[in-house]
Amino acid sequence: MPPSTLNESGLGRLGIETPIAHIDRALKQLWESDEAKTRASLINLAIYTEDSAFLAADNDVLDHVAAEHACRALLILALPDARPPRARAWIQALCRPYQGRQAVCSEQISFVLEGGDAAQVQNIVFAQLDSDLPLVVWWQADLTKNFGERFYSRIDTLIIDSARWNDPTRQFDALLEAKNAETADFDVRDLAWTRSHFMRTALANCFQDASVLQNLSRLQKLAITHLKGQRMTALLLAAWINKRLGATLQLEFIEKDTGPALQCLVLEGEGVRGEVRRDSDSSFVHVCASCGRHEHKDLLPADADNDAELVNEQLSRRGGNTLYSGMLPLIRAMLG
Amino acid sequence: MSDLENPFQETLLSRHHAEPCTVVIFGATGDLTNRKLIPAFYNIAACGDLPPQFKVVGFARRDKTDEVFRAELEAGNRKNSRQGHKDELWASFAQCIHYHRSEFEDPAGYVKLKLRLDEFDKERGTPANRLFYLASAPEAFKPILEMLRAAGLNEGVGGKWARVVCEKPFGKDLATARGLNEVVNATFDEADTYRIDHYLGKETAQNIMVLRFANSIFEPNWNSRYIDHVQITCAENLGMEGGRGGYYDTAGALRDMVQNHLFQLLTLVAMEPPTDLSADSVRDEKVKVIRALRPLVGPEAVGKNVIRAQYTAGSVDGVARVGYRQEDRVNSESKTEPYVAMRVFIDTWRWQGVPFYIRVGKQLPKKATEISIHFKKPPQVPFATSQLLKNSENTLVIRIQPDEGIALRILCKQPGQAMNMQQVKMDFRYSSSFGKASPEAYERLLLDAMAGDATLFARRDEVENAWKFIDEIENAWHKAATPPPMHEYPAGSWGPKEADDLLRADGREWRLL
Repeated sequence: MPPSTLNESGLGRLGIETPIAHIDRALKQLWESDEAKTRASLINLAIYTEDSAFLAADNDVLDHVAAEHACRALLILALPDARPPRARAWIQALCRPYQGRQAVCSEQISFVLEGGDAAQVQNIVFAQLDSDLPLVVWWQADLTKNFGERFYSRIDTLIIDSARWNDPTRQFDALLEAKNAETADFDVRDLAWTRSHFMRTALANCFQDASVLQNLSRLQKLAITHLKGQRMTALLLAAWINKRLGATLQLEFIEKDTGPALQCLVLEGEGVRGEVRRDSDSSFVHVCASCGRHEHKDLLPADADNDAELVNEQLSRRGGNTLYSGMLPLIRAMLG
Repeated sequence: MSDLENPFQETLLSRHHAEPCTVVIFGATGDLTNRKLIPAFYNIAACGDLPPQFKVVGFARRDKTDEVFRAELEAGNRKNSRQGHKDELWASFAQCIHYHRSEFEDPAGYVKLKLRLDEFDKERGTPANRLFYLASAPEAFKPILEMLRAAGLNEGVGGKWARVVCEKPFGKDLATARGLNEVVNATFDEADTYRIDHYLGKETAQNIMVLRFANSIFEPNWNSRYIDHVQITCAENLGMEGGRGGYYDTAGALRDMVQNHLFQLLTLVAMEPPTDLSADSVRDEKVKVIRALRPLVGPEAVGKNVIRAQYTAGSVDGVARVGYRQEDRVNSESKTEPYVAMRVFIDTWRWQGVPFYIRVGKQLPKKATEISIHFKKPPQVPFATSQLLKNSENTLVIRIQPDEGIALRILCKQPGQAMNMQQVKMDFRYSSSFGKASPEAYERLLLDAMAGDATLFARRDEVENAWKFIDEIENAWHKAATPPPMHEYPAGSWGPKEADDLLRADGREWRLL
């Protein structure tokens, strides 16, 4: 976890501090101050956290994401237990060069809500949305608190990262309860699931080899090497593989202290083996499938697995994530 | 065995999925392979979309090894790859590239090619699909196709398919197009024939259908009741650089651009909604548009509706340019048109009485391709005199290149006490709204061809009907006793005065780009 940055110099990185009641006026002044800037927005993207240690990292995520997905960015740090109650806001433009001259900018509004409750959070979020644009929320906090029906019923896409959860069972229960609520119509994107996308693609490539493909039924063992803290990512991948094979493989999880989130996947059975391996600092994966003396090797791109790239990846994919939705009940059952 | 389904192959609706495939490029030492095709395959690989166990075989006359061929392509990829060049990826990708030396007319070369492709299949442990890409000069199409058929390469092996991709030009008139299509279809079924028009691979061209059929505000107004006229412009600020004059002088703007690229854009703008998004449903609707073009028969009709012109010496961007007939490899007596402007009508219920103005030209002031839809003025505007409303109709502009996007021009009240109106533009730009660069047209089209989606490729009847229309104009120009005149315009201007007159006679003007 990054060190806490809730001090005035850290907060200064959020832009110009502005009274909440004057945010609209301040944004207008921001755009009028430089006519060369073009404002662009396709979505409302909010990050909600209750951990001040993530504030700087989340600020960087929004900066990075806005370069690819023009948005109204909202960064909300809520500290429900802080006293006395206080609400502060900052605004800034997130700009990227365009045609060498101009700058295309998204706008970011950041809030620090000390002593805030769920109602305050939702009032603030809903008051600052760019109207008519979809609302995408990355909820980094506990889903069992503050994530109320009035809030999630307005969300179009909910981003979570189940790898960060301390108690996945409770969180998945809360998620399924919200997802199944009558008023909920949001699509769930789990960054832990996105993290395994390149592995799943590579695995499909690996078993496209005809000799290996016809021996799939012989597969017995699955070993996944993952970074410490990414066990949920590995579990999701294992659950998917079992589901696709219609089998229950013998599982082994190997944890490493350094390296990418997912590092190696080996599927083995009598006379057949498939391996997908990603070396540290490499943006590619090596695929190797063998069956008897026959061997097939390939090199495929590996997705970047930092948070900003994962969010970018998700925002690039419109439409419901039916694959993950189909996995949700299975994951819950697997967790017991 | 090859029919076994891979359980890990996820079905992602928005993504094309291609199965193991070998692509054979004829004319592999040419500019297209080096500049477009190989960088496109490399970028498909960089996105992880290349089918597993992919192979590409360059087929050409020159003698060279796989290694030399790969090295030449690597240099081209470094220069032309959209996503840059990564050595690690290239090293892996290059292993898929092979070179096959043969004359196009040599049967033995094709027998050896077949053996080589069979050998690749053996390495894979399964037969793969085969895609033959004709990137050679069109004169070589016939012998290549005949040799492919003689060698049995036109048939898929082990339940897999064999397809052909043809680069334009698809003939130079109806007779040659039919001849070429006969040859192609004698070797490959029409369903396995992919005629590539890279304009259709462009993001904005594909967006025309989305704009029209996914937004309920446009389609109800998309007809003769609300649309006054449509303009399609393809302007180039270059002439015959790079020795292009040799080919161009045998073709001209009408054959080189209008018959294919601009008619493709016209069909997308004018077509009826397809019943579904299958390739044939979409192409059925496009063909109906071409068939409904009101024919221009005889020199009088052509002279009245089509303006041809050649540029004379002038300057573009402050740089002096020679006239068309003084260009390198252009006949000094040339009767070929580097500029054409035309008015066409589509005789359907939807478009009755709506003129479509098309113009394309070389040595114009800027490079731009766009479609503009000019809506009718409101029946009565109480705020202004008709003089103030001149040229102020609502206009929807679809910019194809560069700066892809959509703009809508509307009237607004100017701030102040008086009721003055001002034109304002609502502008959507792909590059500012979407930070991610669009794939190159060839990437999309090659992936579609490998995945079996022919929607963005021209069908035989589409091509032949377009030639039928174009031939009447060519005949009037080149075979009539009193052909319509060839006009002139200075390089760097927006074309001949007569093209302006064509619209002025209808009470309209070309849109200022």
